[in-house]
Amino acid sequence: MPAATKDRLIRAGLGFPLLFGAVAVLRCPAQLDPWEFEVYPYSTTQRGMAEFETDNAVVVDGHAIGGEGTASGTVQSQGMWYNSYEVTYGLTDRIEAAFYLNMARPGGSGLQWAGDKVRLRGRLFEQDVLPVDVGWYLELEWHKTPQFDDAVRELEFRPILEKDLGPLSIMANPKFEKVLAGVGHAQGVEFGYVAGLHYRWERSLSPGLEFYGGAGLIDQADPIERQQHYVFPTIWGELPGGLEYDFGLGYGLTRGSDHLIVKFNLELERFVGAIFKASRGGGWFF
Amino acid sequence: MADPEANRTTLEIRFENHHFSPQTLVVPADRPLQITVLNLSPERIEFESFKLNREKVVEPGSSVTLKLPPLRAGSYDFFDDFHSDVPEGAILAK
Repeated sequence: MPAATKDRLIRAGLGFPLLFGAVAVLRCPAQLDPWEFEVYPYSTTQRGMAEFETDNAVVVDGHAIGGEGTASGTVQSQGMWYNSYEVTYGLTDRIEAAFYLNMARPGGSGLQWAGDKVRLRGRLFEQDVLPVDVGWYLELEWHKTPQFDDAVRELEFRPILEKDLGPLSIMANPKFEKVLAGVGHAQGVEFGYVAGLHYRWERSLSPGLEFYGGAGLIDQADPIERQQHYVFPTIWGELPGGLEYDFGLGYGLTRGSDHLIVKFNLELERFVGAIFKASRGGGWFF
Repeated sequence: MADPEANRTTLEIRFENHHFSPQTLVVPADRPLQITVLNLSPERIEFESFKLNREKVVEPGSSVTLKLPPLRAGSYDFFDDFHSDVPEGAILAK
């Protein structure tokens, strides 16, 4: 656009919408999934078992502007309660399916629908056959836009890696995410990560250290100050009645991160009945 | 090349009358293990070990086999996660 024309538009009051439009086609800075601060292990929900889980994260000290920190939409992260309900079912001995209902309660507002997701997750081979246990994760997610995300639909793939060293489990879930519809659909693949160290101390109480982050596009990472990186010291274990919990405090490590997040997840597992036969012992995928 | 399976210690745990038998197993430390869990009861169980990071549903009248890496000397729990009243067992690696 010629400079003279641009000046005329700005003087006519059209400059801001033009500038906003130019920014809006680019996604918010490096993102992560604040509805699920959870590290996935190699093991999957067993065949015929169902898991009912609620994941919660409250941004105690965040950002006051939408699109900053964990907020990927127009609503600010400060005071946000991310609240999700998940049902997971063990399809086979190596593959599980899950559905999530994502809700959010922005500071000072009521609880509202924010999106949903469905996913499949699997493990390859039997435990300890490979030097590192390997699994996979495939997710389709859709959001309420523009309030809670700038992308309408996203596809995510994660390899799942786990190595047990005695009582210590080391887990890594690198994340590759592609926007299918909405802002950013013309861009490439985003990279993020979820990782954790879980020490099995006592069934009722064990410590952990978890890491979550988003770096931006694979081929064009955001500047470090716009990336999000968090470290969560956690405690986890099983309460009477088989209720499992996972509590942690997340500290943001960059300016682009929220500063303090509290997470609290609860999970209950029950046998509901299998629909497929047992997997073959020597099999590797189903 | 030596067959790694030849060095594997094999064990069997039976579940009947709402109990694991034997309830305590002594195994050699630093050797890989193979544990077969036989469910001889009419109830479904979940054989689980928190310390070993293993869990398997075992249907009535069937069995599952677990392979474990070499264990350091110590005590490793196992229990039925479906029935909290079933007494816990232990694998003692010495």
